[in-house]
Amino acid sequence: MAMTRIERRYAWLGLALIGPTVLVFCAVIVFPLVAAIYLSLFRIYTPTLEGAWVGLGNYAELLARGEFWQALRTTLIWTAGTLTLQMLFGIAMALVLHQSLWFRSLARSLVLFPYFVSTVVAVLVWRWLFNDLYGILNHVIMVAGVSDMPLDWLGTMPNAMVSVILVGAWKYFPFVVIAVLARLQTIPEALYEAARIDGAGPVARFFDITLPQLRDVLVVVVMLRAIWDFKEFDLIFLLTGGGPVTATQTLPLVVYKEAFSMNQMGMAAAHAVAMMAVMLVFMIVYIRRTRGGQGA
Amino acid sequence: MTFLGRLAFNLIAWALVLVIAFPLAWMVVTALKPQSELFRRPPGFLPEAPTLDHFRRLLEETPFATYFGNSVILATATTAVVIALATLGAYSLVRFRYRGRESLAFLVLFTYLLPSVVLILPLYLMMVRLGLANTLASLVIAYTTFALPYALWLLRSFMAGVPEDLESAALVDGASRLGAFRDVILPQLVPGIISTALFTFILSWNEYLYALVLVNSDAARPLTTGVMSMLISAFNIEWSLLMAASVMMSLPLIVVFAFLQGYLTRGFGAGAVKG
Amino acid sequence: MSERNRIGGDRRRGLTRRGALAGIAAGGALLAAPATLRAQGRARLRWWSPQASPEQLAAYRFQIERFMAANPGVEVVFEKTSDEGYQPQMAAAFASGEVPNIVTHLPSFAVSDYWSNGLLEPFNEVIEAIGPEKFFPGANDIYEIDRGVYAGTGIGNSAANMLWVRRDLMEKAGIDRIPRTWDELRDACRRMQGGGVYGAPLPYAKNSMTTLTIIGFIHLAGGSVFSPDLEVALDSEATRNALEFYASMRELCPPGATNYSWGESLTAFVSGATATGIYTGRVLINVNKQNPAIADHVTCATYPTISADVAPWTFNDFPSVMIPRQAGDMDATKAFAAFLFDPEGYIRQLHAAPGHVLPVLKTINDDPRYRDNDIIRKYPAEVELMAAAAAAGHNLGWETKAHRPNVKAGAIVGSGVLADMVQRVVLNGENVDRVVGETARAIEAIMKS
Repeated sequence: MAMTRIERRYAWLGLALIGPTVLVFCAVIVFPLVAAIYLSLFRIYTPTLEGAWVGLGNYAELLARGEFWQALRTTLIWTAGTLTLQMLFGIAMALVLHQSLWFRSLARSLVLFPYFVSTVVAVLVWRWLFNDLYGILNHVIMVAGVSDMPLDWLGTMPNAMVSVILVGAWKYFPFVVIAVLARLQTIPEALYEAARIDGAGPVARFFDITLPQLRDVLVVVVMLRAIWDFKEFDLIFLLTGGGPVTATQTLPLVVYKEAFSMNQMGMAAAHAVAMMAVMLVFMIVYIRRTRGGQGA
Repeated sequence: MTFLGRLAFNLIAWALVLVIAFPLAWMVVTALKPQSELFRRPPGFLPEAPTLDHFRRLLEETPFATYFGNSVILATATTAVVIALATLGAYSLVRFRYRGRESLAFLVLFTYLLPSVVLILPLYLMMVRLGLANTLASLVIAYTTFALPYALWLLRSFMAGVPEDLESAALVDGASRLGAFRDVILPQLVPGIISTALFTFILSWNEYLYALVLVNSDAARPLTTGVMSMLISAFNIEWSLLMAASVMMSLPLIVVFAFLQGYLTRGFGAGAVKG
Repeated sequence: MSERNRIGGDRRRGLTRRGALAGIAAGGALLAAPATLRAQGRARLRWWSPQASPEQLAAYRFQIERFMAANPGVEVVFEKTSDEGYQPQMAAAFASGEVPNIVTHLPSFAVSDYWSNGLLEPFNEVIEAIGPEKFFPGANDIYEIDRGVYAGTGIGNSAANMLWVRRDLMEKAGIDRIPRTWDELRDACRRMQGGGVYGAPLPYAKNSMTTLTIIGFIHLAGGSVFSPDLEVALDSEATRNALEFYASMRELCPPGATNYSWGESLTAFVSGATATGIYTGRVLINVNKQNPAIADHVTCATYPTISADVAPWTFNDFPSVMIPRQAGDMDATKAFAAFLFDPEGYIRQLHAAPGHVLPVLKTINDDPRYRDNDIIRKYPAEVELMAAAAAAGHNLGWETKAHRPNVKAGAIVGSGVLADMVQRVVLNGENVDRVVGETARAIEAIMKS
């Protein structure tokens, strides 16, 4: 297909517009990325970044370690669990907040609050709520007669994983709410009116109009959130530190441990690159499938 | 809807909202409790002798205000840079055809996959080379690494939601490409830009790990690491000060959002399809 | 000497690699900007420490002002580092060359780790300037990693595993003396537990406190993690006894102890939620500030051991002072390092955390000015006991007088394998022999890496 002159001119304009972004990417992302891959081929002492070439040795060791595979499994459980809750609760809450509700602005602000709070603060508030001696949650549980002992929210399994997933869902579902809410407001009211005239109930209207209209936003939101959750470090690190034992030790925590506690930057970089490879595979599959759906 | 139906809906919805906001409430309550009530067992719900002393101490006796100012500058600057780059970038990715467009979109995502923990050291080395170590500017650059891909992808989807006919119509009417972008697309995109800006702002407001490693002087320390290192140490967690700090860190954001939220809705009204 | 040469050789070989990495950095930074402009003719010293409570900061400020007044042309800035996150901060500093001039209060094993990688300036001159005869005997042995050269020195001592008890609760439970053996301790905890009060706040978490506590318990059972020539000696009867006792204490600790670190453990005792505590002298300050009602009943002893035959073992993380090799203005830096021990300022520093940071200088310990402090006056026996215990204390980097310094101690603590061992045995109920065997192998692997 030959381009017309004007199309070619536009193409240059397009490149000029994306140019700054690409430059910034090269400087702040591609360079560290290349550096990370490069570092993963050495055995490196973190504080000096000096070390010896080991080729793919780090990767061989990593794949042979049970720790990597266990951390991968933990990461997948955490991601799947928290992402599902975020999506379900996020969409539901967005629908609720889209309706006319008393003091709607206040309700919206309150619902979005968890996302505003820095992870550090959120974790501290939750640890304070979970506290075995002075925590209000345990007090409520004991007063309500659910249990006569304080619950150990973070120190045993499966409690720790459930707690982490719940706090993660609480912290990040407002992201979904914001994105969905913004999109909901662009759906022409006429579509709903037409459906109403056709006699469609609220449920039918949701599945026939709302959901298809939301699809594009959801596709993006799921992907962004999935990547974000997969990479989540602060929340888990500060909440459980990966414990009990290694039950909530996700891959980013292993990377941190290797890089800074063990001072093995090469090994840390290898974990990070492996992690990226895993995400890449998931992403390609995901994009293929959602693309296919779009074409149909 | 009948009145009863509305009542039931409102009650359920508000019950949900309150459950979600409970940690917020608890945060506020804890911030108002004097130290002596803090470790009472069982914990009381409301402070018996509420005090604003923690807020006063925070403002008068700690560098909280400096940290706060740093965070405001940091988050604003990051948001401005990221939104400017991402809006142009998303426009280009969605509305122009050129070789490598698709691969670029993928590259963006690909770079987004690397965990920040490994990016930190190479990035820090770069900052030192640029002479930016220990400055807010280094954090702005670092935050761009995670905020830009994020913003680009969000805006890309918002951009795709703007009907193409509008732009075509403007072009037929003789507008230049950038003119059409400014007059037709940008107004349509305002809600998207506001959402994206909000996300970017929040991300930069809340970031912890980069701030921990890249900056180590009070003059450039943002709230997250500042508050943490100020109030948490091995021998003491200042819960009441911490909660007071949390309240003060969150309130501005809630106010800003309450304001922007109205803007969002109006923005949509103004951008309705004409003719 | 050959040891030093080997390290030097490593460093030279590393330089080429480092050049390569710097190459990438330069390539990536196309916008090559001028390097940081240093104010000419004026030395600017950066002092880092993770310990900076308001009282400590005031003391540091005093020392800095005094030093700057005596040394015009030198500026000292204090920068607080994170307590848990000092490792990435130090790593970034070393890797970039943007190092602080002086770093205080990091545990001694961090010093030996950085020293063995050639990152630190020898400390001999500073120790000479302070006066080696003023130190407690043997105080600097832990820093003598290579013979005759000191990697740093202590800025204070800490006795981290003191047993804290409340006489009022003991009396109520009819216990007439402070437990000396594990059986007595367990029995006492059992009798004092109840009515919302738990026996002890021992940590069962995945964190460094659990690691350091179990190392202590292994020694309290008469064992050690390494043999004196640094062969892994974990797989022993003592370790099994320590784990067994530690597991039996679980029911006497609060339910949330599975997530306790220093802060929670301390607060549990101070707030009155537990009858005994395990901590440094920080307890004294916090009790007087936060819970004065029990302040008159609090006392401490060295932590009980498995039997009266086994001597107490005090865990001392040896808060240190070190100087990165890459630091500029080395003369001023060394002068300032020595100045930190100048009695007037040093005593202020110690008084900012009385009982918590104990003097490393015998002369200061005996100085009446040091004794002149509310907490020290109120608890003279306790402070004296802790000072003696800490001065004879050890940690994983130097387990007994007979042990060689272990430069991998920091990595072993950081890896968390010992905390994992506790959690696997106590919380998961896994087979003790298998867990101990696997942990020993994991430590061996770290030693080889």
